[in-house]
Amino acid sequence: MISVRNLSKRFGSLQVLRDVSLEVAPGEVVVIIGPSGSGKSTLLRCLNYLEKPEAGEIMINGERLGADPHDVIRLRSQIGMVFQRFNLFPHMTALENVIEGPVTVKKVPKEEAVDKGKVLLEKVGLGDKFSSRPSQLSGGQQQRVAIARALAMEPLIMLFDEPTSALDPELVGEVLAVMKDLAKEGMTMVVVTHEMGFAREVADRVLFMDEGRIIEEGKPEEIFTNPKNERTRAFLSKIL
Amino acid sequence: MDTIDYLLRIMPLFLKAAVTTVELASLGITFGTFIGLFIALAKISNNPFLNYLGRFYTWIFRGIPLLVQLIFIYYALAEFGIEFSAFQSAVIGISLCGGAYIAEIIRAAILSIDKGQMEAALSLGMTYGQAMRRVIIPQTYRRLIPPMGNEFITLTKDTSLASVITMVEILRQAQLNAASDFRPLENYAAAALLYLALTTIFTIVFNKVENKLALSE
Repeated sequence: MISVRNLSKRFGSLQVLRDVSLEVAPGEVVVIIGPSGSGKSTLLRCLNYLEKPEAGEIMINGERLGADPHDVIRLRSQIGMVFQRFNLFPHMTALENVIEGPVTVKKVPKEEAVDKGKVLLEKVGLGDKFSSRPSQLSGGQQQRVAIARALAMEPLIMLFDEPTSALDPELVGEVLAVMKDLAKEGMTMVVVTHEMGFAREVADRVLFMDEGRIIEEGKPEEIFTNPKNERTRAFLSKIL
Repeated sequence: MDTIDYLLRIMPLFLKAAVTTVELASLGITFGTFIGLFIALAKISNNPFLNYLGRFYTWIFRGIPLLVQLIFIYYALAEFGIEFSAFQSAVIGISLCGGAYIAEIIRAAILSIDKGQMEAALSLGMTYGQAMRRVIIPQTYRRLIPPMGNEFITLTKDTSLASVITMVEILRQAQLNAASDFRPLENYAAAALLYLALTTIFTIVFNKVENKLALSE
């Protein structure tokens, strides 16, 4: 589904990604962990070209990303992205946020998009918030709207960039629950997170990144109980 | 009594002149806003040519006094065979100059929108244009109102500069009356009050719009 080969990226003199390669199979849930500044978010943002890599190749569903700007736009519509700070459109209601992609990008008739949008908002537990503005919702509710907004495009892949890091602790669970449901339904997911409980429970594979490289990867039980790399061990001992 | 009689006598002339002032201001503001939007988008685009064009535009039309621009358009362009009426020259000058200032206002408003909004829009598969139209620009409206109100008032007052290119608007009407009737006090006071009335209307309208947008957000 996703194939990354020898990806490199620098911001000025700072090398953020060094020769990163990664394969994600359809239906797989990959969780990326690592200290801040290790390049996890940048890697994720490269996957839908919000950051442009300098070197290397990204293939999404067999298509090379970045060869043509039109392809980038089309492929982005098949990749859902959930941001740390939600980035909901504040001038639209929850439902308008959710139908914006289908109506503007896919030219889906509005009534059809509204029907599907309502189903999605109900699915994330916000059936009573259709006409609420983002400013009237809690962080957890906003993030669930953001997930519904991404799902409305019927993506092949969902990317999560620290989706619970900006939330009050008591609101983290409701967002993770929605993500778990998605994983169960077989969605291909790449998740950057500090929620080790989620990684342990839901991930098919955990990647540990440090200094722009994938240092170690494996099944969650291997990584968490028996990390091979010293840096992985040091990182986990600090946060677990 | 004499003063009041005189003011009533010149009233029709002033009302006609005021209509001209309003026409100049509304046309200048309308075209100026379109120019401003285009130049603002050019300046923030990634296209180097559009960038350069935007910067060049601001440099010229913000850097040369409007008074000089008006005189140049009306008197100097004629030498190239480009002739505009006084009214046309005034509208062109006010629009071009206003556009330069409005561009900066719109640019600042767009840049003040959180970067995550553009990223969220792009991540849905929107083109840059769709993201601007559907997500970024609508969020700038409320932030635009105060500086735009300011600029519209400035442009309304600046229409008085058109008096030097024979445009009979409020100030020119006052000058003509004052000279022919030897009554500068009544005429210039009337002109001052008319401008004040027009800008007051603007202030009230903009306050209303601002409150309305504040409520809807």
